[in-house]
Amino acid sequence: MSKSYALLPCNGLDKCAGCISREVAIKVCENSDSEIICPVLYRVADARYNKIAQEKPLIVIDGCNTRCASRLASEKSLKIAQKINISDEAKANNIELHNSLKLNDEDFKLVNIIADNLLKEEEKVISSLDTDFPEKFEYEIYKKDKFIFRVPKEGFYFNENDCYVYVVGNRARIGVTDYVQQSLSDIMFFTPPAVGSEIEQFGEAGTIESGKAVFEVVSPVSGTVVAVNEKLLNSPELINENPYEKGWIEEIELSDFESDKELLYDFNKYFEIMKRKVDEFHV
Amino acid sequence: MADLKIGVLSCSGEECLGGTISRLATRKMLEELRPGQTVTLCLPLYLAGGEEERFFAKAFPVITVDGCSKCCAKRATEKYSGKVSDIVDVSEILGNDVALDKTVSTKDMTSQHMEMVDKVAKVICEKFDKIAENK
Repeated sequence: MSKSYALLPCNGLDKCAGCISREVAIKVCENSDSEIICPVLYRVADARYNKIAQEKPLIVIDGCNTRCASRLASEKSLKIAQKINISDEAKANNIELHNSLKLNDEDFKLVNIIADNLLKEEEKVISSLDTDFPEKFEYEIYKKDKFIFRVPKEGFYFNENDCYVYVVGNRARIGVTDYVQQSLSDIMFFTPPAVGSEIEQFGEAGTIESGKAVFEVVSPVSGTVVAVNEKLLNSPELINENPYEKGWIEEIELSDFESDKELLYDFNKYFEIMKRKVDEFHV
Repeated sequence: MADLKIGVLSCSGEECLGGTISRLATRKMLEELRPGQTVTLCLPLYLAGGEEERFFAKAFPVITVDGCSKCCAKRATEKYSGKVSDIVDVSEILGNDVALDKTVSTKDMTSQHMEMVDKVAKVICEKFDKIAENK
């Protein structure tokens, strides 16, 4: 499969992390059919990159939490397929970032880890496996003012973080409930977990972001991520339309659902909890 | 003059080799040629609205270093902070063929590349000293 990303690194010049973002983008480009968007030229003359940014999955690479590249993507209303933060990646890989702008072996090790993951990921991103998941469900509805909160009546389990799981055989789809999507309002970005990664119950399973907040998807189950809903990369608003149907987030091969289930709510329990939350907190 | 700070602001440099060289020449100013006097500003942060960066570029002399004749650094700086004190265009020093060549990783820089960096850094240094003399 020919890899083809649009890469938007922050290219920061005053910090090591910014220089690493640039090196990651160059390495991915050298090993794939991807293209780099120069953040400065993009601001000065956006016609140069608009087409690339719209046609290819956009990977945004921020050096630090100032998130200049993400801010630029947001200002240009670009849809982001994946966000990478070099400082976070360094922590996750036990690599300490230093103050020098000259990159050392450890920095290039981090460059290789991130770039290799990106190059592998595209091969792994698949829309869904062969398992049959229903396309429609029946819902119980709770209304509050103009807001409608749906909860599917059968087959779903929920955690206290308003994430659901729907199990078929040894596979499951997970996602967020209506309570989350209504609270976030218009969802603009979806950052999936890496396909192939192991997730613990209550571990992070990607993030979704609106103009209001970033929401960490908390996995209701443990297992291995086997697919992500790639439609969300370009159309995260599907979560707003229906988070249980076209807005599902990812598929997981379950490792111990019987144990995980003990800490989950069924429909009756979650519906009561959700109603209470809506009455008490939802604005 | 010892307390004088001069900003050297490089383009981001993803489009061409000239950009890579402008980044490295700027770094050379910062770390070797005029340490303590050179301040570099992160151009992407500056453009994203970094208040400190914009204040600096308004209050202190700034030399922009551009990899090619698109002059992103100069254009962007002048848009937000007014006229710059001087400019360096790598394509004028090394020629368009070199400046517009493909960008490279810093780990793949050859001795020939480093000579180019030195050459550009020397020009920045000359302009830097000229500004410092007049202050």
